[in-house]
Amino acid sequence: MERQSTLGPHDDPREILDVATNATDKEIRAAYLKKVKEHPPERSPAAFERIRDAYEVLRDPRRRALHLLLSTDPWAPLVSLLADRAPERRFVGPAPWLAVLKEK
Amino acid sequence: MSRKNKHRNQDRPWPATQPVVARGTTPGAGANDPNFAEVERLLAQGNSKPALELAKQIHKRAGTSASEALLVKAYGARIRALLKSGLAVEAKALLDLVRQRYPSARGALAEIHVDVAVRKESLDDLIRQLNDPVLEPERRVEIETIIRRELTDLGALAQNPALPAEHPLRAGAARLQKAWEAVTAAPVEDDALALPEISRRSPLAPWKMLVRAIAAFYRPDDAACERWLQLIDPDSAPARLAPAVRAMISRQAAPGLKPAASFLIAQVGGKMDSLRGSLQSLDTAFTAGRRKQLIPAIQNAVRACREACPDLLDRLRQHIGVRGSDADITYEQVRDAMGGAPRKDAYFWRLMARQAEDPRSMACLPACTMWDEFRRHAVHEGWFPADGPEVAALYLHMADILQHIPREDLGDLQRSFLNRFSGRSYDYLDQPPAIRELARKYNEDDAFILFPEQLYARACAIDPDPEVFMRWLEWARQGSGWKLEEEAAEAWKRALPKDSRPLLRLMDLAEKRGALKKALGYLEQAEGLAALNPEVRRGRLRLLVATAMRHVEQRKPHLAERDIEELEALPQAREGDRPAFLAVLRWTLCVLRSDSDGAARNLAQAADLIGSRVAAAMVVAGIADFCKLLDLVTDRYYNRNIVFDSKESLAAAVARGCALGDDLGWPLTIPPAFEKQLLDELGRTPGAMDARQLRLLAEAALRLDRRHLAFAASGAGLAKGGATEARFLLLRGRALPEYEPERRDQCFAAAAELARRQRDMGLVDEAVECRRGHFFMGVLNPHASGSSSSMSTDQLNKVLSLEKQASEFPPLRTPKFESPFDDEPFFDDDEEDDEEFDDDMGPVTPEEFDEIMNQLDDLLGMGKRRGPHHKHRRRRPGPPGTPRPPSGSGQGSLF
Repeated sequence: MERQSTLGPHDDPREILDVATNATDKEIRAAYLKKVKEHPPERSPAAFERIRDAYEVLRDPRRRALHLLLSTDPWAPLVSLLADRAPERRFVGPAPWLAVLKEK
Repeated sequence: MSRKNKHRNQDRPWPATQPVVARGTTPGAGANDPNFAEVERLLAQGNSKPALELAKQIHKRAGTSASEALLVKAYGARIRALLKSGLAVEAKALLDLVRQRYPSARGALAEIHVDVAVRKESLDDLIRQLNDPVLEPERRVEIETIIRRELTDLGALAQNPALPAEHPLRAGAARLQKAWEAVTAAPVEDDALALPEISRRSPLAPWKMLVRAIAAFYRPDDAACERWLQLIDPDSAPARLAPAVRAMISRQAAPGLKPAASFLIAQVGGKMDSLRGSLQSLDTAFTAGRRKQLIPAIQNAVRACREACPDLLDRLRQHIGVRGSDADITYEQVRDAMGGAPRKDAYFWRLMARQAEDPRSMACLPACTMWDEFRRHAVHEGWFPADGPEVAALYLHMADILQHIPREDLGDLQRSFLNRFSGRSYDYLDQPPAIRELARKYNEDDAFILFPEQLYARACAIDPDPEVFMRWLEWARQGSGWKLEEEAAEAWKRALPKDSRPLLRLMDLAEKRGALKKALGYLEQAEGLAALNPEVRRGRLRLLVATAMRHVEQRKPHLAERDIEELEALPQAREGDRPAFLAVLRWTLCVLRSDSDGAARNLAQAADLIGSRVAAAMVVAGIADFCKLLDLVTDRYYNRNIVFDSKESLAAAVARGCALGDDLGWPLTIPPAFEKQLLDELGRTPGAMDARQLRLLAEAALRLDRRHLAFAASGAGLAKGGATEARFLLLRGRALPEYEPERRDQCFAAAAELARRQRDMGLVDEAVECRRGHFFMGVLNPHASGSSSSMSTDQLNKVLSLEKQASEFPPLRTPKFESPFDDEPFFDDDEEDDEEFDDDMGPVTPEEFDEIMNQLDDLLGMGKRRGPHHKHRRRRPGPPGTPRPPSGSGQGSLF
């Protein structure tokens, strides 16, 4: 069965591999190998999957071109623009936490 | 209260908001009393104060046990309300008063007593009991349960002098208090939260889990956080934090969160969560499509974005701008609400184009203009070079979009659109100079973006790959006429001169329109590149056959003979049944030269070579027809030496004849009168023919729209099982009538699935094409269109089993769908035909077989010349196994 890609509608494979828009095939491969070294599958399987999916898209020029055209979804929920933003979790001290406990 | 005030209060009526015992009633009658119900109603609404006042009145007047119970209940609610308001001292005083005044109610108030006891004022009393070495175990458990359920202030317990400092509970609370403050203020590792002094059974154990959950939440390790949350006793006080923590992890608004929880989420999540909420609200507003909601929602989202993620503001404006173009709101309103125009760069135009091409919008021509804007911006922004594969992919994509417009409408739409369209300069008026400089006036050269053939040509020029040319050719093939196709093939030939495929395509096209010399020219070029290519070899054979037949038709036997000699010299002409075809071609020369002996010899040879008198007759009939020889064919050219064997399988013979015709590019006709016997034979001995013969028979039947025959042949093929099942399922689907849309769709889907599993991608494509062609019926019939493109093994086996068992062609039935056109049932004509056909069905009689043979005569135009008695003069074949008399007797005559 074909594996589902881990890339979302707003994911840019170039950003994942950290390559320029006009990177050559050689540069893309070099970037892929570098990223795999940084995120080997046994240590960070999720990151590795994303790197591999990004490389699968970029390695074939036609697929790369088609992905560039179709990878955006104008109907996607606007909130998905925040998908790759790390959620903020601020330390606020014990008081607000305690207030929840006291509120029966 | 002063006496004066008291008096005044007694005299004045009850305030409107305060209940009063209804006049004329006798309170205290019991639970059926309407005033009891009123108290209950007030309590249910949380109005404990008026409920208590009313209950006091009722009890004062009635003084029954029921009224006392009601009063105690109202007191209980009031005490809880005081506790909730933080008035623990007042609650305790009231509780003591009630317990003293109504001793019988102590049991009912026990639970409240516990609640009151855990408040600070009474915590000392409660935990002091734990110092008692002879405290009953039940009481100890009770106190610990209260602590587990109610303790919300670790500090109060940690510093409580009622217990010695070294008491495990107090020491544990102190440790937890430190851990609690640590995890809510900074990252803490799990090792620092071991807290071994707090056992699993301790009333403080839920706090330990909560502290670890919060530490995991901040790490962030959401899975670990959830694991710790699940270990918290749901009846304990720390469990109250779980919904808020889970809401923060899921980033989804949890319903029913209390204000303190919402405040915590807002504090922890910061502005990012606020932005998330605003975007969710805006998504909801877009979905609802209400203008009044949209404007403030856009304003809120932009404001929140500016505060939380200013770097995202441009991107958000672009998305809002695009979504807004589809909403009930003007561009100017959206722009004003956003506080600025969206930046119309490559990203924006790509979004716009994607939206315009979406089936929900389906604005194909505007979408192409937007894609062109995207191309120019993307090249300018360095996304890709102007002649990169991305541009080729874009042109192909635009050509695909234009294919959504029916061919017959495209020309009109292009003209109409170009008359109105003057470019997109207007869209750039509100743009910064860097963007505005890319605006340009539309000119005629830009119109290529609306013409698929020009888009394909440009794509192929940038990316001259056979796959790209094939897409162009495929598009051209679907149109009318051959010029577009030839143009594409010529471009392919020019771009890839070493590729034989465009030459073969050009050869086919030339052959189809009868330009045989030109076709031969292409063939010679293809032979120069790939002489051993099977298609090239077959092409030479086919073209020579066509040339020979052309010469026969032109009554030029000397040229035709030269062609036939050339054909006979080809090694591929000696394969399979092809020599029989050549013998028939030589027969045509004999007809032209009035050589009856030669004609008889060649016919006999053809029948011998193909091994079937019927097959030979079909080929003769077909070639005579194609070469327009029917007028010349007379009795002189009959071959009466050919012995007809009644044991011969008609189905096999017809299949063989059809196969030979197809092989050489001259599809033969199955005489209609054959059908009855063919059906009978397929029903009697379905396994007699091999899969290839059955396939050829089914395909020939479909080509001639003989669905009953195709149905029977596909059924016989399915019964054989094995690797050809997918092919026969596809044939079965094509053979089924249109009034069986679901069943047809199931057959196509099953064929595609089976072919996919067998990795026969060509067959998959065919099945998919059939489904696509079947789409019209799917539109009318929701059952058919809703089916999935993939099938499980069970579904597949079910379809296979059903089709294998189905031996009867489906009778006409009223379609399930409702016709959108009129109330008349579809397929009236088919019904009539069907009935006629059914009446005719039955065993083949000798007379009917005679009719079959006459049909062949008719094909050759002989029946008319022979006159009305010919049929009766024909000698019928004897019973099976009867030896045939010699040809001189006329028995078994080919014609």
